[in-house]
Amino acid sequence: MPHPCLWKPRLYLVLGLLWANLAHAQHDHSSGEFEVFVAAEAFHAAGGLPRDEADPWINADVVAGITEHQFRVFGELYVTPDETDLERFQIGFEFVPETVLWFGRFHQPASAWNTEHHHGQYLQTDITRPYIERWEDEQGIIPEHITGALMESRQSIGGDGAIQLSAGIGAAPALTNGGMEPLSLISGNSGRHGLSVTGRLGYLPEYVGASSVGLLFGQDDLEARYGLALPSLHSNRVHLSLYGAYIDWTIEPWRIVGANYYVNVALDQTARNESFISGYLQVERQLPKQFTVFGRLEDSARMQESSYVALFDDHDGDVEIALRRQALGVRWDYARRQALTLEISHIVSLHQEANEVRAQWSAAIP
Amino acid sequence: MKRLTATAVLLMILAAVTLALADEQLVLIVSADSKIAQLDSLELRRLFLGLTVSHNGNRLRPVLNETDPKVKEIFLQNIVSMSDITYDRSLLRLTLMQGQRQPTAYKDIALLIKAVADDPSAVSYAWSKDVVHDPRIRILRVLWYD
Repeated sequence: MPHPCLWKPRLYLVLGLLWANLAHAQHDHSSGEFEVFVAAEAFHAAGGLPRDEADPWINADVVAGITEHQFRVFGELYVTPDETDLERFQIGFEFVPETVLWFGRFHQPASAWNTEHHHGQYLQTDITRPYIERWEDEQGIIPEHITGALMESRQSIGGDGAIQLSAGIGAAPALTNGGMEPLSLISGNSGRHGLSVTGRLGYLPEYVGASSVGLLFGQDDLEARYGLALPSLHSNRVHLSLYGAYIDWTIEPWRIVGANYYVNVALDQTARNESFISGYLQVERQLPKQFTVFGRLEDSARMQESSYVALFDDHDGDVEIALRRQALGVRWDYARRQALTLEISHIVSLHQEANEVRAQWSAAIP
Repeated sequence: MKRLTATAVLLMILAAVTLALADEQLVLIVSADSKIAQLDSLELRRLFLGLTVSHNGNRLRPVLNETDPKVKEIFLQNIVSMSDITYDRSLLRLTLMQGQRQPTAYKDIALLIKAVADDPSAVSYAWSKDVVHDPRIRILRVLWYD
């Protein structure tokens, strides 16, 4: 019999799939504001490197939204055999077309990758996400889940183009000796949460297109949980300043996705500040028969010297903080809303080098 | 008399040709009760890509016509200018990003016409021959003809 704590996520998964089928049956054809993004993954690493805790072998991302006149309610529930979390829950009001003010828990807009793909694995061409874009519970080093207010706007500028502005303000995650803990909407919260102010300004060559290029900005106060000093940092508070630029450009059959972040880390009980740079560039090329090949380079500077970055490495033998990575893969969209992906990568982490092979099935239902 | 007969035959041929042409016209449709006067190509593209398009403060609702593979092909080429898979991903992307509602799709023309007729905010497209004589439907313009 499965462990009792596994019942809840499995129940959510089954209920989600039933709901999806019901939504599908109620219409003549798929419609509506309900989707389940599912993915299953196999993993092998050379040298017996253990599977990263951040990589569940199966996961489901349940997305549901309601639009009634100018009001919107939206939620994203992420379920794995070990975790169930309401990743996003937002209530919004659309003042004018494509300008929405949201309240709730959201993904901070200064992340180029996560504001595009969120937890929906199927819409991501590759299997892995760049290390700098990892979620807090994957030893991510940038705050990703903020609870507060988010303004999103897209407005036409001459011809076909548009400017996209997103700005968020709210409670940042708390800092612990091993990671960050964002404010949770479905479980208890302890510790203090500082202020987060993040933003993104993008230019879209086509108002309705997916291509964009722009700037990213973030200021986060990370308070040590329970107010205790973090031994490795000798500090109760960390102030992160993030400045970045991104590009996501499609000229079929090519697509380029890239971002570069400069992160400054200010500690309150020491005069010594740190900074590091991390970035990635991914190139994708569509081929006949619904195949897509992709390659990604990730690189960083001064991350290995940062005591803030070292805070997220728990020395359990798997790769939590990568300094560099080269990934190569192929994806095959073999059926409507279903894909198979193979990805190989070489990783240089804080303490070791590793080679990985991953295979994944991903789908969107219905 | 001969001239009259020839004119009548010519008119009959013209009528038949017009009818034949009407069979190959894809038209933009709304409910007869709708207050929408017209939609330009950019508004139409935004609407069917899941973005917000309003008229007189009312949010318009796109309705997909999947009753005929040829209609879908024309829709993808002429209205959204995308391949099937790219269009599907664009809709999924908006759902994932903001929980945006995806357009309702119909595979039965009678159900589609009823859905449009019943909702003054609905916008769809259909073969002219299917809607031209239906008093519940108003044609805004011709989207495609052969």
